Amino acid sequence: MVQRFALIGTLLALGAGQALAQTTPTAPAWQQGRQASMAESKLAPHAGKLTATGPADIPIQNLKLPAGFKAEIWSSGTPGNRAMARGESGKVYVGTRGIGRVYEITDNGSERTSRVVVDKLNQPAVAMHKGSLYVMSIDKVLRYDGIEKNPNVQPVDLTAKFNLPPEQHHNWKYLRFGPDDKLYVPFGAPCNICVLPTDEYAQIRRYDADGSNMEVIATGVRNTQGFDWHPVTKELWFTNHGRDWMGDDGPEDGLNRLSKVGQNFGFPYCHASGIADADIKKDKPCEGVTPQVQGMGAHTAVMGLQFYTGSMFPAEYKNAMLVARKGSWNRIQKSGYDVVMVRADADGKNAKVSPFVTGFMDEKTDTFWGRPTYLLQMPDGALLLSDEQLGAIYRISYAK
Amino acid sequence: MRSKRSGFSSTCRVLAAAALLCGLLPSQAQQPPPQQLSLCMACHGPQGNSQMPLIPSLAGQPKVFIENQLVLIREGLRDIPQMKGMLDSLKDAELVVLANYFSAQTPVRVETPVNSVTYQRGKDTAQKMLCASCHLPDYVGRQQIPRLAGQQEEFLIYSMTQFRDHAGLGRDTIMAASLYGLKDPDLADLAHFLVNFK
Repeated sequence: MVQRFALIGTLLALGAGQALAQTTPTAPAWQQGRQASMAESKLAPHAGKLTATGPADIPIQNLKLPAGFKAEIWSSGTPGNRAMARGESGKVYVGTRGIGRVYEITDNGSERTSRVVVDKLNQPAVAMHKGSLYVMSIDKVLRYDGIEKNPNVQPVDLTAKFNLPPEQHHNWKYLRFGPDDKLYVPFGAPCNICVLPTDEYAQIRRYDADGSNMEVIATGVRNTQGFDWHPVTKELWFTNHGRDWMGDDGPEDGLNRLSKVGQNFGFPYCHASGIADADIKKDKPCEGVTPQVQGMGAHTAVMGLQFYTGSMFPAEYKNAMLVARKGSWNRIQKSGYDVVMVRADADGKNAKVSPFVTGFMDEKTDTFWGRPTYLLQMPDGALLLSDEQLGAIYRISYAK
Repeated sequence: MRSKRSGFSSTCRVLAAAALLCGLLPSQAQQPPPQQLSLCMACHGPQGNSQMPLIPSLAGQPKVFIENQLVLIREGLRDIPQMKGMLDSLKDAELVVLANYFSAQTPVRVETPVNSVTYQRGKDTAQKMLCASCHLPDYVGRQQIPRLAGQQEEFLIYSMTQFRDHAGLGRDTIMAASLYGLKDPDLADLAHFLVNFK
């Protein structure tokens, strides 16, 4: 840590001269690289809400969707709910961050009930695989076998096998099993912008389900918080957060496609589609870097990504991506706070972004009430959408 | 001091009555049960203005900050031995009522002698570390970010040391990283400046 920060300080001093002279080498992770001109800025990450919100306090009527679509409250009362995984029996497991819980939501048809499966974890994410619930936090990996049938099953602790690195910032997890039955998980850059302290960060890895055969499949990935596999090509597509404090309009968060194992996506030298970093410099910073498929707006906090493969929605949604944008903090005018639809060719060309769910934010007053984070396709083709701010899950359905 | 305190609580009663009359939302107007309040105030002081060096003041803290901390402490994510078990039986809605109450109280700082040299050093450090960016230029806090002005000095030193040395569960990685590299005397300077900020 000491060496890393000292190194950044040196680089900043050498690279940017006076303009960055006020940037302290001990800057906190979230404001490394902050320009002197922004020293007076009061931008700060928004507060999460850790207490339960009842349905009556969720203004779902404010949501706007394309014609024929409907959003309703599917469940509520699960503060901080983020990424969801569905078991074979229909139970839905949900991870969180600061509140440290994993929820199990049971659908009995007319209503949903929830319980806490495990708590006191350090920012846990979940995945379901062959009847087992996998839970990974910054410092722990647990597996609950047959949990849908046996709610009191004790977990198997797999932590030692996964060799998790110690840094916390941007190392909260997103967890998925791929079409190859391997467990995919990102390890974010432990800073806003820095030379990595070790080569264990800013990457996506995959493991066998038991934690063996670890393989780094993508590097230079600052902070991906969601991914999915293309329904036809089976390639991995992932979202990625751009760095902060480089201005309101760049570099953009992005949508990326992994066409070859081992591709480099640029961090810390190169961002988005070829923007050299303002602080961490080298010759030809973007050489050998795979550019993003599509910019998703600066600071929008692009989160969950779901290829739509159901048959409930109109034909144009088939194999299109739905992407949740949790919404910005490091931007004077707020942006994001929505779900967008992205259509692109299988090779990433001709990407087009259009609104899907809006209304979480009021542009006139620059305020928001909800933060859409993750999507989950249900067997009937409806989509579940988690709102981390209000601890609720919405169901999005379509009827002609 | 004593008369000040009783004046305080009568003001509070008037305000509470006014809130009820104005028809505010029930959760805003609702008072915590007296036995709960007296339990809190036994340590956190009258209306949440702590009179004890290692106990934090709650009066005038942002509502979301108090709410979040109450949840984290109840869940055991923030491990505070003195608070262990105290919140076990409280539901989220009751925590919200407590947070509403203490955030609405007027903070009354405990006057202690100010060392102008230490104060200035702390001020410089606060400027260098951009504390005001989140805690705001008058250090009153906002949302999830606590008020520092008028806090108990020893508590601030203790709390900042905790953040710096143990990232700790339930504590945002942002603040844990914010004090990285500061030495003990820097934290003491900062605390002296922040509690006495005017």
